[in-house]
Amino acid sequence: MVDKVIVYSTSSCPWCHRAHDFFKKNKINFTDINIGENQKAAKEMVKKSGQKGVPVIDINGEIMVGFDEQAIKKALKIK
Amino acid sequence: MKPKEFDLIIIGAGGAGLAAAMYGARLGLKTLCLGSSHGTELPLGGVITTTNVVENYPGFIRLTGTELADKIREHAESYELVTLKEEKVTDVKKDKNIFNVITENSTYEGKTIIFATGTKWRKLDVPGSKEFENKGIAYCALCDAPLFKNKIVAVIGGADSSAKDALVLAEHAKKVFIIYRGDKIRPEPINYERIMAHKKIEVINNTNVIEVKGKQFVEKVILDKVYKGSKELELQGVFVAIGHIIISDLAKKIGVKTNEKGEIILDHKTSETNLPGVFAAGDVTDKPFKQLITGVADGCTAAFSAYEYVSKNKK
Repeated sequence: MVDKVIVYSTSSCPWCHRAHDFFKKNKINFTDINIGENQKAAKEMVKKSGQKGVPVIDINGEIMVGFDEQAIKKALKIK
Repeated sequence: MKPKEFDLIIIGAGGAGLAAAMYGARLGLKTLCLGSSHGTELPLGGVITTTNVVENYPGFIRLTGTELADKIREHAESYELVTLKEEKVTDVKKDKNIFNVITENSTYEGKTIIFATGTKWRKLDVPGSKEFENKGIAYCALCDAPLFKNKIVAVIGGADSSAKDALVLAEHAKKVFIIYRGDKIRPEPINYERIMAHKKIEVINNTNVIEVKGKQFVEKVILDKVYKGSKELELQGVFVAIGHIIISDLAKKIGVKTNEKGEIILDHKTSETNLPGVFAAGDVTDKPFKQLITGVADGCTAAFSAYEYVSKNKK
């Protein structure tokens, strides 16, 4: 199964950059949604996560708030 | 030298730590720099990554904090003698003249050590502040400001970081209050002028937020003084900028002396602590003027002192 990864981010959020770098380094395809440019997506992110902070990372439907490398690795089953 | 043995181990990979790593390598020290960005801790690059615009670092008239942090990191990593690892340090032990630095993944040995552990945000501690964290209460304006487009928000605090947060928020929100407990906010004069000239920003002095209220998300704050006829201020976002807490627990554990604020007491000529072979740099120290540029200077000085210490003990 191919992992479906969505990152809800803002352009100036350092944790969002860390998340992007992590997925690129580990060659994991992801969709980045800049909520600063997309208010509809911002509302979607708030609805999904129940909160208003970025990044929000959606890995196959599992919602994570913030950048937590260990939690991401666990969700993706990588070391 | 074995793979996990180093001349110099730096705990902290913000500007001060990365500058120390770069300088350590230039002086021929096999250097390990350890940082961590798990959970809500600051990413590699440190606190400067949460600053929107940096205009006070020589050589760069204007760039973002992340851009500057990336440049400093790339510079450090360009030296073969530098190993940068994203690992959280959990313990430090001193065994004769060697320091054992324990992370969540491994243990490293260092002849010298530099604490560049910095600070973390001081949390707002009033009723509602925990309940509404990330539900309207935020600590990183740079990250979360776009979520408050056309909303009313407040920044709590009166220092330069509060002013910068307010300016970032004013790019998105329709109204930004700065709520400050003192008589007059105290940012750098250039930012004070920007705040005073900004039509969306209003400063409420001599006032504290004593409660945050809402349902699912923040809806209002309660003030300890009446403002325009009411102690209730309706808003959707509260950005907290009330200072920082020093991260010096590991240093204290091995006997490094700190002051009443927890800041590591340094010899500012050498960046030495009271313990031989132990140095410190950046926001964790008792330096009064804490800026990236002063932290970077500490880092270079600490690396040079570590080099002298290692050279002296070779003989």
